[in-house]
Amino acid sequence: MNYHILKKDELDGFIRKLATKMKVCAPVAKGHNNFAFEEVSSAAGIALDYIPTILPPKKYFMPPREKLLDFDISGDKPRDTASVDAEKLAIFGVHTCDLAGIQCLNMVFSEKPRDYNYILRKENIFIIGLECSRYCDGSATCALVGNHYPNGGYDLFFTELGDKFIIHVNTQKGEDLVEGMGLPKASSAYLESLDDVREEKRAVFQNEIGVDQKTLAGIVAARQESKVWQEIGSRCVSCGNCTNVCPTCYCFDMADTINLDMKTGFRTRTWDSCQFETFATVAGGENFRAERAGRQRHRINRKFSYPLDKFYRSFCTGCGRCTRTCMAKISLKDTLKALVAESRSVSHGTGQYSSSSLPLSGDESMVKG
Amino acid sequence: MKTEKEPVKTAAKPKVAFFDFACCEGCQLQVANIGESLLDILGAVDVVEFREVMSEKYDKDYDVAIIEGSITDHHAEERLKKIRARSKVLIAYGACAAIGGVNGMKNSFDLDEIRQSVYGKDFKLFPSSPTRPIHQVVKVDYTINGCPIYPPELIEVLKHALRGLPYTVPDNPVCSECKLNENVCMYERGVSCLGPWTKAGCNSWCVNNGNICYGCRGEVTNPAKNANDVIGKYNLKPELVKNKFDMYNKCKEGDINVNRK
Ligand code: SF4
Ligand code: SF4
Ligand code: SF4
Repeated sequence: MNYHILKKDELDGFIRKLATKMKVCAPVAKGHNNFAFEEVSSAAGIALDYIPTILPPKKYFMPPREKLLDFDISGDKPRDTASVDAEKLAIFGVHTCDLAGIQCLNMVFSEKPRDYNYILRKENIFIIGLECSRYCDGSATCALVGNHYPNGGYDLFFTELGDKFIIHVNTQKGEDLVEGMGLPKASSAYLESLDDVREEKRAVFQNEIGVDQKTLAGIVAARQESKVWQEIGSRCVSCGNCTNVCPTCYCFDMADTINLDMKTGFRTRTWDSCQFETFATVAGGENFRAERAGRQRHRINRKFSYPLDKFYRSFCTGCGRCTRTCMAKISLKDTLKALVAESRSVSHGTGQYSSSSLPLSGDESMVKG
Repeated sequence: MKTEKEPVKTAAKPKVAFFDFACCEGCQLQVANIGESLLDILGAVDVVEFREVMSEKYDKDYDVAIIEGSITDHHAEERLKKIRARSKVLIAYGACAAIGGVNGMKNSFDLDEIRQSVYGKDFKLFPSSPTRPIHQVVKVDYTINGCPIYPPELIEVLKHALRGLPYTVPDNPVCSECKLNENVCMYERGVSCLGPWTKAGCNSWCVNNGNICYGCRGEVTNPAKNANDVIGKYNLKPELVKNKFDMYNKCKEGDINVNRK
């Protein structure tokens, strides 16, 4: 599709106009180098230069706490009414890693049985991406998974070119918006500048781990008995921060709450975490992942190994949130590097990690998705 | 922690009574802060004793006894045992009742020393015992943690108790709720917070309001074995965290001798 141009000093007008059509959310500074997507009505509060927000945009697609239905058990038969709250919304300034995160969730929730709450909400969300010209910080691993470049998943995509933005239009909805606002088409000179920006990035963003995604998947799959899991497991506090902030973690728990009339009530779903103590506990009390080491291993498998078979892509977007938020200073980059190093030393015959070195309990298949 | 009890089913509305032991009665005051739902609660139960708002006494059995405060002498112990004997369901209400709370600080000192500083030279006339939470004295059916209690949790526990269902106190760190509320972590602000060790269930109430977590809901069952890594990230001393934790959780030491589920 087309490329259009918006002068930076016209961004405020753009946001204001957009805000007359729908709610607009954008990254906002929260102090201490923390950012969050919040509602804005002008460009004034928007942090154009930001590092990944505390929670990723997934909070708009699957809210942390969501009511699914209301029920009434007073009659002969229980009655229920589905509930979905899908307001029209534009998210401005989504980095390429988070665009990838939304693409991952789209795949998960479009699988049968389809998740209508998610899908209805997604239909009502207009996504405006924003390109990064340099690393957010040392926690990011976006080049490992190729997410430092845009790979679709947006309506409009903004790249800074000096005092202007060049906007890639990716959908009809996007086209209608920029045409409606009368934004001029980009001349070929701008397209050349865009190529230059991308070329410059090639030198800045380098695979942070040093092996490609496929090789890494193989290494993770082969390192199930690694001592790395014990090492990070001994530090983890099971707070679940790493999964709650992850743009591709989608596990949830459901609960029915009855009102004080003891007749009516509602059903909610809340984000859950595979890092919680009881996540893999089943009826009868058996816990399939009672040890933190096993839970950490599961998390890494769920990002770098299993989804490559199931969805043909990594479910780590490289955003670095899990590293930034970890209460125990567990770094994703260091973990991956340690696995790669261990794998190399084993293949050179210097390592002696046998299956007996890691007493993990239970079956490590994908409990609860 | 899972608690379970036979449903409280009586033709009339369940009789609910509030009792206080060593505490500030702040948790009872929270009942008044419930707002609208208070009327719904009063529609569902019959409050038969509540010293803070009524003077009537009731001489039959209670369907639900809500106990506030901790046990600090033998008078309290006897009174609590009598209440337990008259109650179908007993709820430990608030940090003092649930985990000992700030009263537990007494246990950091020699008992006679404490009595002397409170009662002076006649301290021998005033018997006293180390602070205990309710479950270290009698069987507790439900626990409502917090200093003060978090009103939405009181309502949830009441509903569970009235229906005879078990209520599960979340056994995840407060961080798990704090993250869903998208707070800037206190550690990022350069302040230490007990969230990583404290049981969730309060919806990270304090942090949402700009305060740190003080650990008032008690420690998670399986805390990080090595806290040094959490605090190492922010250059804190382990003793500092331990001392902060003792403010509410000193009585935890007594749990070693008590069969607590
Ligand atoms: S695993 Fe970590 S770096 Fe990867 S997408 Fe999740 S939060 Fe981001
Ligand atoms: S954020 Fe860190 S401490 Fe918390 S569950 Fe994840 S790995 Fe463990
Ligand atoms: S502010 Fe406290 S409760 Fe919240 S994430 Fe940080 S340590 Fe955990």
